[in-house]
Amino acid sequence: MNVFIRKNLLRLIILIVLAGLFVAAAAGMESQDFLITLLRGLSVGSLTFLVASGFSLIFGLLDVLNLAHGTLFMIGAYIGWTVYVRSDTFMDLLTPLALILSGFLLRDVWSLLSTRLPAAGRMKRILPWAGILVSGLILFSVLRNYPIAIWDVGDYAQSPVSISYLASQGQNVQPPPATFETISPLMAFAGLIAGSLLLAFSLSLFGAGKQAEASRITWRSFTGFAAFLLAGIIFFIFNNLFTAFLAGLNTNWLFLIAVLVAVGSGAGLGALMETTLIRPLYIRPIYQLMLTLGLSAIGIEMVRAVWGRPEFTMPRPELFAGTGEGCPATSLAGWWQYHCSTMMLMDGRIRVFNEIFIPIIGVVVLVAVWILLQRSRLGMIIRAGVQDREMVEALGINVRRVFTQVFALGVGLAALGGVLAAPSIGLSNMMGESFLLNALIALAIGGLTSYPGAALGSLLVGLLQQFIIKYGQIGIAIPFTEIVFKPSPPIVPASIILLMVVVLLILPNGLLGKKE
Amino acid sequence: MDYLLDVQDIHTFIGQYHILQGVDVRVPKGSITALLGRNGAGKTTTLKSILGLTPPRQGRVIFEDRAIQGMHSFDIASLGIGFVPEHRAIFRDLSVEENLKIAERKKDDYVRKRDFIFSLFPDLKRLISLSGTNLSGGQQQMLAIARALVADNRLLLIDEPSEGLAPVLIEQLMKAILQLSAESTVVLVEQNFLVASQLAEYYVIIEEGRSVKEGKMKDLINDKDTIHRYLGAA
Repeated sequence: MNVFIRKNLLRLIILIVLAGLFVAAAAGMESQDFLITLLRGLSVGSLTFLVASGFSLIFGLLDVLNLAHGTLFMIGAYIGWTVYVRSDTFMDLLTPLALILSGFLLRDVWSLLSTRLPAAGRMKRILPWAGILVSGLILFSVLRNYPIAIWDVGDYAQSPVSISYLASQGQNVQPPPATFETISPLMAFAGLIAGSLLLAFSLSLFGAGKQAEASRITWRSFTGFAAFLLAGIIFFIFNNLFTAFLAGLNTNWLFLIAVLVAVGSGAGLGALMETTLIRPLYIRPIYQLMLTLGLSAIGIEMVRAVWGRPEFTMPRPELFAGTGEGCPATSLAGWWQYHCSTMMLMDGRIRVFNEIFIPIIGVVVLVAVWILLQRSRLGMIIRAGVQDREMVEALGINVRRVFTQVFALGVGLAALGGVLAAPSIGLSNMMGESFLLNALIALAIGGLTSYPGAALGSLLVGLLQQFIIKYGQIGIAIPFTEIVFKPSPPIVPASIILLMVVVLLILPNGLLGKKE
Repeated sequence: MDYLLDVQDIHTFIGQYHILQGVDVRVPKGSITALLGRNGAGKTTTLKSILGLTPPRQGRVIFEDRAIQGMHSFDIASLGIGFVPEHRAIFRDLSVEENLKIAERKKDDYVRKRDFIFSLFPDLKRLISLSGTNLSGGQQQMLAIARALVADNRLLLIDEPSEGLAPVLIEQLMKAILQLSAESTVVLVEQNFLVASQLAEYYVIIEEGRSVKEGKMKDLINDKDTIHRYLGAA
């Protein structure tokens, strides 16, 4: 025990000082102010943690600084909004998406074909690019004419801002479903499948050459492809039925579906990004940094093109959408009875979704990922791989597959953060950047590759920001003087950077980080 | 003769450095073969090249009649090759038991091999719940070897097992290596010639990235000239 204290003396002193500051900050304000600030801090901390934990898992195992993480957080929010508010658009998109992805599930076939291909030098270099070009043209020309009932960024009445506003007023009117006009459905299907097959094959040609062994083709190789094809067709035939079902669904369930879809698409996007773009660059860290930075910019521009620049909010699910002011609920049981958006707690009014629901989800995710890391085989491999990737590989473990899984997990967590943030702080193009910055600072404070460090850092960042904001309103009475110091808004971001600087000066690896 | 592993004229680069410039190693089935040579001669790189951790740019590596050069490391290892690296590479954040379990390739490998492993290294049994950080050097070495035994490996690549260990521990370790060589073939890199000469049946000497001499260990022991020339004073 003595050894433990001596080894971690600096760490303990900092933690005691931080706890002391926390107590001092608590003593300086009324108890209801303190409670609200604490809960808001927990809320911001939870969202920061969802970004930070995924970022740190990816960095720890893959050594990739994924600067697109904030953008993926934002994309999660926008996808969630689409499913939640415009379920017709979501259903219309499912069919083409399933068809385009189907070709990528024939991996065994492609790897066999690529070994059979004549290895003529120039042809081999041109072929993949030509394939990508042709398939791109096919997909583009089909998708241009594919009917999707979507909002219109150019027309204010049809823009996401208006639709969101109407939806929050309970007037979510969906336009009549789009129909095929310029092309026949059969043509569209054929085009999408052909484009998908060609694209998947061309992309697989890039990786050819380092094949361990020619994989054999069994009926299993086709199951994924067939399943996606079938799903695409089913979604197409029963489109109106599904849309009507989603539109009529209770918003609580719809929100749950939106969260699941956002997390799933985030994970899928992460897996796609890792396998196609990041994988060729593991030996070139600088290029990786440029790549993820570029992807982040591309992502933001794409979101601007599709959903528009103006900020808008996502209506809260029914459970949290009741009246705000004057709600008589004073406890969670009362809230459950009235379904208010706010409730009284210790004479302060707090918002249930922002200040209770989000921290609860944050804690649930914290525990769930912790259990995954400590109890599952994947977690064991991650913990081992963070320390020594080469040795994990030497044990015969397919590290690439684990990399893809971890990337998907990390991005999925970020997307979860995004879709949770959407009803509380709203959707904007830049929401990801500010959270990424917060998360990076939290990780620097807590320790870059440490999972508990990510949690502690996020908590500190969230609490510190909220306490400074609150003290900006009520002011700090400086002892022995008449002066009341009110921190101005610019001090809020500055304060967490200051905390980071102080912590890093004393503990270069962060509070819970390990020596490299 | 029946070779389990046949390394043919491999050339390996690390960055721009041409580390291996033609190494041949033939490992007969069921034997212990020692790679000998001075510091920096390329013995560790040879092991890593076999496993594909530093893939050879030229030459062939044949394991059980199958060319394995150019495959992914994890595919090579999965064929049945265990690796005990130079600095043990025990996973610090994992308990001793997890360090063994992570090496499973089939479900319940660990449960099946547990008794064999603990009969070789009785000490590990009482350390089972400790974290990897709290082990002494000797315990780490035993764990590293035990980890390579969990899966069904027909070939073990062991790098510098005696490095930094007390003489008593070295003796214990040698006994264990002899015992496990009854089950699988071993390629050993060893600086300590006394240890290597007592364990190995065959040897290959590597000098400046080339294999220069090979043969039976019992012939080498009496060949003072070769020992002096390639291994320094022994």
